[in-house]
Amino acid sequence: MYLRPSMVEEALAALAEGGPTTILAGGTDYYPARVGRPLTEDILDITAIAALRGIGERDGALRIGAAVRWTEIAEAALPPSLRCLQLAAREIGGRQIQNAGTLAGNLCNASPAADGVPCLLALDAEVELASARGTRRLPVAEFVRGNRRTARRPDELMTAIIVPRCAEAARSTFLKLGARRYLVISIVMVAALIEAAPDGAIAAARIAVGACSAAAQRLPLLEAVLRGRRLASGIGCLVAAEHLGELAPIDDVRGTAAYRREAARRLVARALDELAAEAAA
Amino acid sequence: MTRLLEPRAIGMPLERLDGHAKVTGTAPYAFEHALRDPLYLYPLEAAIARGRMTAIDTAEAEALAGVVAVMTPRNAPRLAADDDQELWLLQSEGIHFRGQLVGAVIAQTPEIARHAAALVRIAYEAEPHDAALAADRDDLYKPEQVNPDYAADTDEGDVEAALAAADVAIDATYTTPMEHNNPMEPHTTVAIWEGGVLTLYDSTQGAHSVRTTLAPVFGLAPDKIRIIAPYVGGGFGSKGTAHAHDVLAGLAAQMVPGRPVKFALTRQQMFWLAGYRTPTIQRIRLGAGRDGRLTAIVHEVIEQTARFKEFAEQTATSTRIMYASPNRRTSHRLAKLDVPVPSWMRAPGETPGMFAGEVAMDELAVACGLDPIALRIRNDPAADPQSGKPWSGRKLVECLREGARRFGWDRRAPNPAARREDGWLVGMGVASSTYPAYALPGSRATIRYGEDQRYVVRIGAADIGTGTWTALTQIAADALGCPIEAVRLEIGDSALPHASVEGGSSGINCWGSAIVAAARAFRGQHGAAPVPGAEIGAEMPEDPEAQRFAMHSFGAQFAEVRVNADTGEIRVPRMLGVFSAGRIINPRTARSQFIGGMTMGLSMALHEESVLDPRFGHVVNHDLASYHIAAHADIGDIDAVWLDEVDPHSNPMGSRGIGEIGIVGAAAAIANAAWHATGIRIRDLPITPDKLLA
Repeated sequence: MYLRPSMVEEALAALAEGGPTTILAGGTDYYPARVGRPLTEDILDITAIAALRGIGERDGALRIGAAVRWTEIAEAALPPSLRCLQLAAREIGGRQIQNAGTLAGNLCNASPAADGVPCLLALDAEVELASARGTRRLPVAEFVRGNRRTARRPDELMTAIIVPRCAEAARSTFLKLGARRYLVISIVMVAALIEAAPDGAIAAARIAVGACSAAAQRLPLLEAVLRGRRLASGIGCLVAAEHLGELAPIDDVRGTAAYRREAARRLVARALDELAAEAAA
Repeated sequence: MTRLLEPRAIGMPLERLDGHAKVTGTAPYAFEHALRDPLYLYPLEAAIARGRMTAIDTAEAEALAGVVAVMTPRNAPRLAADDDQELWLLQSEGIHFRGQLVGAVIAQTPEIARHAAALVRIAYEAEPHDAALAADRDDLYKPEQVNPDYAADTDEGDVEAALAAADVAIDATYTTPMEHNNPMEPHTTVAIWEGGVLTLYDSTQGAHSVRTTLAPVFGLAPDKIRIIAPYVGGGFGSKGTAHAHDVLAGLAAQMVPGRPVKFALTRQQMFWLAGYRTPTIQRIRLGAGRDGRLTAIVHEVIEQTARFKEFAEQTATSTRIMYASPNRRTSHRLAKLDVPVPSWMRAPGETPGMFAGEVAMDELAVACGLDPIALRIRNDPAADPQSGKPWSGRKLVECLREGARRFGWDRRAPNPAARREDGWLVGMGVASSTYPAYALPGSRATIRYGEDQRYVVRIGAADIGTGTWTALTQIAADALGCPIEAVRLEIGDSALPHASVEGGSSGINCWGSAIVAAARAFRGQHGAAPVPGAEIGAEMPEDPEAQRFAMHSFGAQFAEVRVNADTGEIRVPRMLGVFSAGRIINPRTARSQFIGGMTMGLSMALHEESVLDPRFGHVVNHDLASYHIAAHADIGDIDAVWLDEVDPHSNPMGSRGIGEIGIVGAAAAIANAAWHATGIRIRDLPITPDKLLA
C-alpha cells in the first residue's frame, strides 16, 4: 500500500490501524537505502498533507511543519537566533536534496550525523507528535534516543517542530567539518546559540555537537562556564577538553575518535569566537 | 625529421563539434541507442571472496512475470578461450573474488530483472581468502614484466655503495590507496546476437580492441563481432579493456537471439567489476652530495594483483627516466590476492610512482637545504638515463622556470610553517610531471571524396569526452588542406578502419598519423581536385624517429595549500600546471584535459580511497557518497598552460599525448605544499584533516 493522504486525520487513522510502517517525506534517506529493490512494506507519504507545510508563528513559538523542506528553511525570513538552522540547511547535500529533504525527516531518520539535530538542541526545540489518541510534545533531546532510534511510537506522526521564541539578542551559528568542502557527511558539527545582554554578559548559552556520539549532545558543563561571562574576543579559549565529556566519538572512515574529539573542541571554540566577533561588529 | 603539417586548423581553439548534440541529449551513449524490443539484464554476483557455488536455486526468479531467462553456469552458452580468466564467465562454479559475475537475469524491464536477481538463491562452499596487501608478506613475487611491457626490475651501478657514501640520504616509504576510476557514464553494453553475428553497443575506449579481445573468447571470427561506441561518458582507463560485463551481455544475447540485451553497471558494481588502481607501498631511497646532485636512486614497489589474473602496474618506471644518477635500482613486487583484478587508471604507473618520487625529491631538497626547483634542475639529465638516447624534447626545466615565474614562487618562504593567515597555515609546493609518448601500431584511415564535395574521413577511433571528434577533424582539414567544414569524420565503430585503443595518451598521435598518411596518399593519387567517389586508405606509418629518440612529455605542477591550524582542514586555492607536450592540437579541449587531470590529482591527494575490508574482500565505501571525489567547492583557481613548441620527431602534427600528464605529479605538489604550510610530511594518501592535526 502506498498511501498519500491530504489530511492529517487520514494519515493518523492509517497509522492507528497498524498500517504503514514507513513514513516518507522527502525520501532522501529512504531512496538511496532502497534503490533497486521493490517496496515490500506499506508507505505513508505525507507530502500531500497541506497542514504539514509552511513555517509560521503560533502561541509565541515558531512552528515548522513536518513537510517543510530544507530549501524553505534556508530561504525563509527567520529571526537571527535561527541562523544556525539556516546555515545547516545549506550544508545538507546539494540543492536537489535540499529541495526534497525535510527537517522532520532528518530528525526521524536519527542519523548520528544528522545536521539538523544539534541546531534544534541549541534552539531548545520540541517536536509535535500526533496520533489518533491525541497530540504530545517532546523536547528534541528526548525524541532522538540514539543511532537511528527515536521516541516516536508506531502510531505517531511527527507533525511539526516547535522552536520557542528566543530573546531578541540571541544569535546562533552552525559549523560543519567534513573531509571535503561540500556534499559531505559530517565528521563533526557544532551549533551554538548565545543570548548576551547589551553589556556583553552571557545570559544563556546553548551549545550542541553532532556526529561525535550516537545522538548529538548538548555541552552543559561548557554552558554553565559561559553563563555570566562576557561575549568577547577570546571567549573560545574557555572551551576545555573536560567540557566535551558527554561526547563518545568513534573511529570510522571519515576520521578517528581522537581527531573528532579534538576537532570538536576547536570547532566549538571557533563557533563561540565567531559569535563574539559578530556581536562586536 | 618527420614531415610536419602546415598548421591552420590545428592550434585553433575550436568548440567541440559534438558539444551541441551532447548538451541537447541527442548524442546516444551506449544504453541510449534506440533499439527495437530490448530486454534488460541484471547480474548475479558472488557473495564470497573465494570458493565455489554448490547450488543455485532460480525457481522463484524464473516464476516471476516478466522474466525471460535466468542464466547460470548450468545453462550459459559455452565460451571458447580461457586464457583471460576475467572474461571466462559462467563456465564453472569457481569464485575468485567477491562480486564476481556468476549469472544473470534477463527480463522485460530493468526493475523486474533486478528484483528477480534478488530472488535467486546461491549456496557456496567458501574457502579461506586473502585480501590484505602488506609489505611484509612472504609471498611477494616479481612479475615477468610490468604494464604494458616494461622490465619489472632495473639495476645500474652500485646503489648500496653509493648510498653508504652519500653526504645526504633519504629513506622513506610512501603509500597510495586503492582508487576507482568512476567515469560518469557507468560501464554499459547492449548486446544483440543475430545470424551468428554479435553486435555490442559498448561504452569503451576502443571498439577494435574490444573486438580483438572478445572474438576468441566467444570463438567468433573478428568480422562476426561489431562494437559501436560513438559517444562515451568518460573512461580514465577503466574502459580501455573489455571487462566481464561485456562477456555477460554477449552470453545473455545468445540466449535470446534477435533481442537487444541492455546491461549497465550500477555505481556500486563499478567498485568491483571495472578495474581500479592497485594500492601501492613504495620505499624510496635517495643518495646525494651536499650540492643535491643525486648519486643513488632506489624505488622499490609493492602492489597487488588478482590471484586469477595478473595486472602489474608500472609504478617505478618514471623513476628510470626522471633524474640523472649513476646508480639506480627499481623493482616491482606483487601480492596475489582474492580481489578483483586491478587495471588501468589514468596514467597507471606514473600517477602513484611520481607521487612517491616527487615527495621524496622534496624531502631531499629540504635535507640539502636547496630550493626544490633548483634541486630538480640540478639533476636534469642531458639524455634518457634508461636508454641513453637523446630526448625528442625534454623541457622540464623550462616548465619549472615558467611555472615559478607565473605562480610567484619567489614569494615562497624557504622554511615550512612560516606563513599564517587568519588561522590558516599557507604553503606552496612543486612537483615534476612526466608521461611517455606512446605509439600503438595498426591504426588505419580512409578518405573518400563525396558527392556533397566533402571528405569523409573514417577511422574507428574513440571519443571518451576528450575531444577526438574535434581534434581529428582539425587534423584531417590540415592534412587535406581544406576547411573544417569540408571534413565529415566517422569514428566509434569497429566497422570503420582499424584504430588502436584510446589509452596511454596515444590516441591523437596514432589516429592523427593515420589520417595524415591517408590524406597524403589521397592527394598523391587523386590530386587537389578529386572526382566524387575518389577514395584511398592508408595505415599509420612507422615512425623511424621513435627508435632514435626518447619521447616523453614533461610538466611542472604547482600548488598553494591552506591548512586550518585548528582542524587540519585542507584547501587548495591555487594550482598551476605548465606542460611541455609538443604542439597542442586544440587549446580549448586540451586545457580541459589538463585541468581535468589536475583536478583528478587533487582529488587523489585529498579524497580518494577505496576502503577494502579484508574480512570480506569487498570495498566498503562503494558509492559516491562515501568514496569521495573532489566536489566543486574543493576546487579553486586551477590553471594549465603549455610551452609553445612543436615536437619535430613525434608525428606530422608535432604533438604528444595530453590525456594523462595532467594528473601526474599533482598529488605530490599538494603534499609538498601541505608540508610547506605545516611542517608535517604526509607520505600516505589521501591527506585527510586528521593526518594534519598532529
